[in-house]
Amino acid sequence: MSQLDDFIRQVRSLHTMIGPCVDILEPETRKVISTPEIYGIRQIILTGSGDSYFAGAAAAPMFRDLTGLPVQAMTSMEASRYAGGFGKSVINARGTLVISISYSGEAARLVEAAQRWRDRGALTLGLTSAREGRLAKAAERVVNTRIEEVAPAPGTRTYVVALIALNLLAIRFAEVLMRITMDAPNGLRRELSEIGTQLGDLESAFSAPIRAFAELSRDWRCFDLLGSGPSLGSAGYSAAKLVEAAGIHAVAQDSEEFFHLNFFVDCPTTIPAVLYAPSDGAAASRSRELVETLGQLGRPTMVVTDQAGFGGGLTELLVPRVREWFAPIVQTVPAALLAAHVADHRGTRHYRGHDGPWSGARGANLVRNSRIDVNRG
Amino acid sequence: MLKTYSLETKANGLIDVTSLAEEALAESGVSEGMLLVSVPHSTAAVSVVSPWDPLGLEDVHDEICRLVPTRVDFKHQHDTPQDAAGHIKAALVGHSRVFYVHDGKLGLGHSQKIFFWEFDGPRSRSVEIKILRG
Repeated sequence: MSQLDDFIRQVRSLHTMIGPCVDILEPETRKVISTPEIYGIRQIILTGSGDSYFAGAAAAPMFRDLTGLPVQAMTSMEASRYAGGFGKSVINARGTLVISISYSGEAARLVEAAQRWRDRGALTLGLTSAREGRLAKAAERVVNTRIEEVAPAPGTRTYVVALIALNLLAIRFAEVLMRITMDAPNGLRRELSEIGTQLGDLESAFSAPIRAFAELSRDWRCFDLLGSGPSLGSAGYSAAKLVEAAGIHAVAQDSEEFFHLNFFVDCPTTIPAVLYAPSDGAAASRSRELVETLGQLGRPTMVVTDQAGFGGGLTELLVPRVREWFAPIVQTVPAALLAAHVADHRGTRHYRGHDGPWSGARGANLVRNSRIDVNRG
Repeated sequence: MLKTYSLETKANGLIDVTSLAEEALAESGVSEGMLLVSVPHSTAAVSVVSPWDPLGLEDVHDEICRLVPTRVDFKHQHDTPQDAAGHIKAALVGHSRVFYVHDGKLGLGHSQKIFFWEFDGPRSRSVEIKILRG
């Protein structure tokens, strides 16, 4: 089985994974934080590294909309060393819910963040597959995100399961806080559960256009991945997969920020862009302007959207239309396929085979074995 | 005969369903018997209240909310605090009422109407009406 086949198997498996995953995680997310505790929450921090951070970034807008609370997505370094006044005066973090996301449960900086916030009185919740892992021990509560492993490839199922768990928590908090009325949360859970059925044919529909795009990539040295709101999380995930699978430098950027920064890069015809843009998203009007601008620049561009014609004549991948909060789940499919095909076309080994200059990452050594310091900033 | 009517409640409080009972009774053709109004929900109830002053209806609803306030520390936390309080209110008020039927009319006084009582709205609800001849 080639690494391309393995990656594609992961993508195909999302179709049957999502519904059962919602069924399993729903009771856990319903019970893990009690009603009085939910009423005590004054701010929420979603933290992780890599895909887990992007899952938090993708889910943060939904948390904000549904709970009405201040919600921030932070990298584990920011959450651990640069938030909460650590290293200065000892603060009381009561009223803060810190949701730490790590499938392995062993990312050192995240374990450190969970421990630091817990020590200062925050309610800490870990989303992890490792019941006995360091994150599960550091956090006060745990939601078990373990799923069956399908094929060795850059994490796709693990990212989607984190999104699902976060979406379910946001729905639960809104329900308990009575921000939405009683029939609404079950409707949202149903919508979430049914997304998998809409992904059935996507892989076969996307393979040819993504392959064609990837075949242009021989001379490309970097990628811009663009989106806003939840789709900025997708852009981050998409960049992460390109780095992991294809070893190509890839950067996520907010659609608005593109106009301020990335617009000006030299040799635009050699720097591809992928825009994740739900047609009825809050940023849709800006996305339309961005499509036009990318065309004018001559950027090789692929627009992942849910409305035919939204891409304005650029390469367009049509994903099923779901509400913007859930768009990152469907956007996972083209993002993962793009990385899989670019890696295959360029002949690069996933994670460079953890060999040569990359051998230090074997066994996730570089992220697991960083020194944990719970006392100093 | 059993008739089921759908209701979309917009908020908590009392909704007059007397006309539904009268419609079901007329359709049944029963002139002597019993009519049961039943609410197949655990956070809604049925009762009889005077309809004439809308503020009186608000008083009735306000008073049960005073007796059973919505709190966050109910032991039942499967759904929402309003749901937990709603279960108690509905249990106190009751889920059905029986009325006699005489000469094809419901046994209701001048100041009596049948009300569906929502404790966890807005929701999609139903009201069931069973009519027995005899």
